[in-house]
Amino acid sequence: MSQIGVDQWVEQSDERRDRYSGWTAPARRAFDKLPTGWKLVGVLGAAAAFPLLVPQGEIRIGITVLLLAMLALGLNVVVGWAGLLDLGFVAFYGFGAYFYAIVASDQLPAHWPTWVAIPIIVAAAALLGALLSLPSRRLVGDYLAIMTLFFAQIFVELVRNFERLPFVSEDLDLTGGPNGIPGVEAWDLFGFQINSFKRHYYLLLILLVVLIAGLHNLNASRTGRAWRALREDTLAAEHMTTPVNKLKLLAFVVGAAIAGLAGSIFAAVQVGVFPNNFALPFLITIYAAVILGGSGSIAGVVLGAVAIGYIPELLRDPGKAGWLFYIGLAVMLVVTMKRWQPIAAVTIGLVVFGFVVRFVSSAIWDESIMGTANDTFISRFVDGWVLILGEQQDLITNYAFVVAIAGVLSVVVTRGWLRIATLIPTIYLAILVWENKLALQPSITRQLLFGAVLVVMMAIRPQGLLGTRRVEIT
Amino acid sequence: MEFFLQQTVNGLTLGSVYALLALGYSMVYGILKLLNFAHGEVYMFGAFAGYGVLTVLGGSSAPLVPIWLMILLMFVAAVVVSSTIGVALERFAYRPLRNSTRIAPLISAVGASFFLQAAALLLFTANSRSYDAPNLIAIQTGIPIGPIRVWMVRVMVIVTSAVLMILLTLWVNRTRTGKAVRAVSFDREAAAMMGIDVDKVIVITFLIGSALAGVGGVMVGLVFGRVFHLMGFVAGLKAFTAAVVGGIGSIPGAMFGGLLIGFAEAYTTGYISSTFQNLIVFALLVVVLLVRPRGLFGREELVKV
Amino acid sequence: MKKRSQWPKMVMLFVAMALVAAACGGDDDAGAGDDTTTTAAAAPAATTTATTEAAPATTMAPEPTTTTEMEMIPCVATIGFIGPITGPVAFIGEVQLNWMQYAVDVLNEELSTEISIVEGDNQFDTAQSATLAAQFVDNADMVATVGPAGSDNVDAAGAVFEDLDPDFSFVSPSSTREGIAATYTGMFRTVPTDADQGPTTADFMIAEGAAKVFLVDDQSSYSTGLSDSTTAALEAGGVEVITESVSQDTTDFSALVSTIPDDADFVYLPWQVAANGQIFANQMAEQGKTMRIFGSDGMDSEDFTTVGSLVAAFAPDIAGIAGSADLLAGFLAEYDDTNTFGPPVFAAVQVIIEATYRVCLTGQTPDRASVQAEIANTDLADSILGSPISFTSDGDLAEGQFFIFEIQEDGTKTLVG
Repeated sequence: MSQIGVDQWVEQSDERRDRYSGWTAPARRAFDKLPTGWKLVGVLGAAAAFPLLVPQGEIRIGITVLLLAMLALGLNVVVGWAGLLDLGFVAFYGFGAYFYAIVASDQLPAHWPTWVAIPIIVAAAALLGALLSLPSRRLVGDYLAIMTLFFAQIFVELVRNFERLPFVSEDLDLTGGPNGIPGVEAWDLFGFQINSFKRHYYLLLILLVVLIAGLHNLNASRTGRAWRALREDTLAAEHMTTPVNKLKLLAFVVGAAIAGLAGSIFAAVQVGVFPNNFALPFLITIYAAVILGGSGSIAGVVLGAVAIGYIPELLRDPGKAGWLFYIGLAVMLVVTMKRWQPIAAVTIGLVVFGFVVRFVSSAIWDESIMGTANDTFISRFVDGWVLILGEQQDLITNYAFVVAIAGVLSVVVTRGWLRIATLIPTIYLAILVWENKLALQPSITRQLLFGAVLVVMMAIRPQGLLGTRRVEIT
Repeated sequence: MEFFLQQTVNGLTLGSVYALLALGYSMVYGILKLLNFAHGEVYMFGAFAGYGVLTVLGGSSAPLVPIWLMILLMFVAAVVVSSTIGVALERFAYRPLRNSTRIAPLISAVGASFFLQAAALLLFTANSRSYDAPNLIAIQTGIPIGPIRVWMVRVMVIVTSAVLMILLTLWVNRTRTGKAVRAVSFDREAAAMMGIDVDKVIVITFLIGSALAGVGGVMVGLVFGRVFHLMGFVAGLKAFTAAVVGGIGSIPGAMFGGLLIGFAEAYTTGYISSTFQNLIVFALLVVVLLVRPRGLFGREELVKV
Repeated sequence: MKKRSQWPKMVMLFVAMALVAAACGGDDDAGAGDDTTTTAAAAPAATTTATTEAAPATTMAPEPTTTTEMEMIPCVATIGFIGPITGPVAFIGEVQLNWMQYAVDVLNEELSTEISIVEGDNQFDTAQSATLAAQFVDNADMVATVGPAGSDNVDAAGAVFEDLDPDFSFVSPSSTREGIAATYTGMFRTVPTDADQGPTTADFMIAEGAAKVFLVDDQSSYSTGLSDSTTAALEAGGVEVITESVSQDTTDFSALVSTIPDDADFVYLPWQVAANGQIFANQMAEQGKTMRIFGSDGMDSEDFTTVGSLVAAFAPDIAGIAGSADLLAGFLAEYDDTNTFGPPVFAAVQVIIEATYRVCLTGQTPDRASVQAEIANTDLADSILGSPISFTSDGDLAEGQFFIFEIQEDGTKTLVG
């Protein structure tokens, strides 16, 4: 992968980025000139004010986002800094959660005080991390990945079937099997109960700030630099007498400890733990946060967690999803055409196209306009222009959906007049499918859009939102 | 003995399907060093394509065409649909990220995977579909092997995947394109310098890998029966495991990895415990990897310093 | 080079647009809510008097006198739905949501209420159930919700309801774990519990002379609960039980099928995914295993069609009851598929809407506390499930009953116990 000149080019990327151009340049330059402290205070102030301004449901989402941010930071140490592909990370989270749930519920006769339980949980998770780092002495890359993945899966299998293990006595019910453990008690810090959404939010925010400060220093330290050396070229690092195995162990330990802590908070937030909380889909979510935000960058992974945690909630509301869809179409139009003349041409063409289609179609088959439009602002706006099918809606929109996707994809690869010619029917079809099908099934559409957003964002910025471009040495 | 034979047949069927899927994974990995997490979804769409043909041609209880033609058409449809999706994935989700870090395409793959699952839900609804193969090929038909009888569909699955694997091996080793694939897999830059059209080779790899997944989808539909929007996730995970344990990037490795997992699952359930099947299989694979850190057939990479 | 410089701009543009969308979306909330309603405005009060006779009559509805109906202010409220519309068991959520929309359509028309739905997809994930619960509590128009499905999701959502607003009622159409309704103030359910199903199932097998039963659970919360209660009842009756389990992801059971001992009398499958049960049955046939399969209520579905098998159901065959059969036909005219998870949703919606309606009859605006009080007072002489519905003080069905059916050659089911 070492093309001549690439490294130089990468090295200068910061300089090039300084030379902003276009209409956003003044704002971005001004933002860069702001002292880092101010930016931090701004972000922190906004985060601290958040729960005071929004209802409970939004605070609950905020908690999810903060937990995800914490986990993403932990995973970033292992994956982003040390470059170890750890697919077992979610098991540490589960371990912390189950450990706390067991000692803070009726599963055991003894309930541990929080200030005793938390340090023990974090230490135990770290120890488990150290254990899991052992195979990394021998296994590299994807072989390490699959080994750690086994660990994650074994964890879920174990908690789900713990009581059935042949050597576990019938009476001992530690994990609750598939039922999980409901009724977990809140954190009790010397008499102060962390028992509301707001308190959980602030607890997480404080811990996150402490964590970020610690990780920032760690990254700048000798260990941090050694991790990066390890990530870029393990062999070279080893020859420079870097203690490779010790560093790998340390990365696993730090990551696991953070995940264990996050887990013990999660158990208290959810007032229960269930095996499915720690299955692979959630591991994928954490990875998405780290990579989307920019693997290796602290601010990046936090931003990634905000994006991954919040986008699905944004899409949950059909009204907001509708806006996002139409704005996405507009952005696609602007980005593919670039200059205003063709944009105007396509827009006019689209309007004319729509009316012609409607006219012709209703003349041939009057059911094609017999449906009732959706009751949102945009839908009322396009009603009378786009076809709203009365009968056979499912069948026709299924085909339209497939053709519209093919259209969007071909817009990406075609050029010039051909592109304009593809764009018009594609946008029309997309709107038709939205109004006739997608808007009616918001839950499925939510997953659809989330997937599309991930693909598009990664295509636009392969290095992640705040990541730095670097050349991978294979 | 009867029990052992039965479990061997069970394991062989399951293993053949895993192997076909693992091949697609492994080939793509060999060339791009990319974990194609959306491979399972390609397989799922293959299974649905087969179901579509089956339904259009009268369903399994009242087929409009001879059964051999029906099955052939199902395979053809699955291959067409799956390879189209596979190639589209490469072009639109992976190509923009070709020169970025190793794990970046993982998230594109996950995004594509979500998208395809949701698309399947939208197009086919969540109701699970059944090929109802016993109506198509009676459950009493089969080849007797000693004390047991192997259902024709199982025979077909095992034979088809064996043939496909042999053809693939021959293709990779004997043809010009196959050599180009190996060359790109060995060193992409050098291959490009020798005049190999790397883009074309990558597209061909995705095409073949996805086509195999499509065939796998129809075979699963025929032999096990249930087709639904999430069937790709677990199968994809198994295939990934098989590919890595076999030695990722290695074609015989993927085949043996798939068969190993199939047999391990069948024998564990048969002789030890169904509840802890996964646990035991994972433990076994951990041991395999600890003994052979580069998988069964993986080559020790020489690192230039 | 030139192309690359466009990316940051595009990203900025997209992010900016997304933020605008979020902001605009805020204003649009009301519209958005309406978007998912099916018929809130579609049944204006004036036309309802005419259509009441035409509507599929549910005799169990309290008969409103015409005068009150005329004078009454419109009875407006929102009810929620929490269920797995996507994700691993989307087939449950899809049918539940369809039945919910259907039930709201039918009952709105019949009672001239203006009830609308807000759907919440939890993807069968407890964390999302909890988030949805908090969002629903925030929604001031919402009086109660249907769902969630699955006892672990009930635990997650229940904890939030209990914490934020114990007056918020949630009526689960599919959570069957014993004792769970007693834990949460606002919980009611329209399905009987494992404590009803397990013994009924076991008694039937014992009466049929079973000596050995091969039981396979699917490692879900639903399945293990049922497995435990059935095993206990079977063993008390002197039956030998061989317990195995497979994860719900499995679609090849042939290795497990081979281990079924030849002298087993029944294979008991307390499974959620009926389609998997059919695969199991096919693979038994393939290997020449002829013992009878006994499925739990989750297997009572069109997906499971093995002739001669038995399934448990919490309702008598509703296609055979006049009023229920009409409702079922009405549903199938509009939606393609149904399964065992559907009708209890209708019952749950009916419980909530009629409770809301009774609050409206007293001249009050329905709020959570009054609706909850009325739900607790529910006393339906008859329901779509073919049995009366009223609740114990815990919120469980007062009369939980199970029926056992045998699947016939032509696909119909015959009551056998």
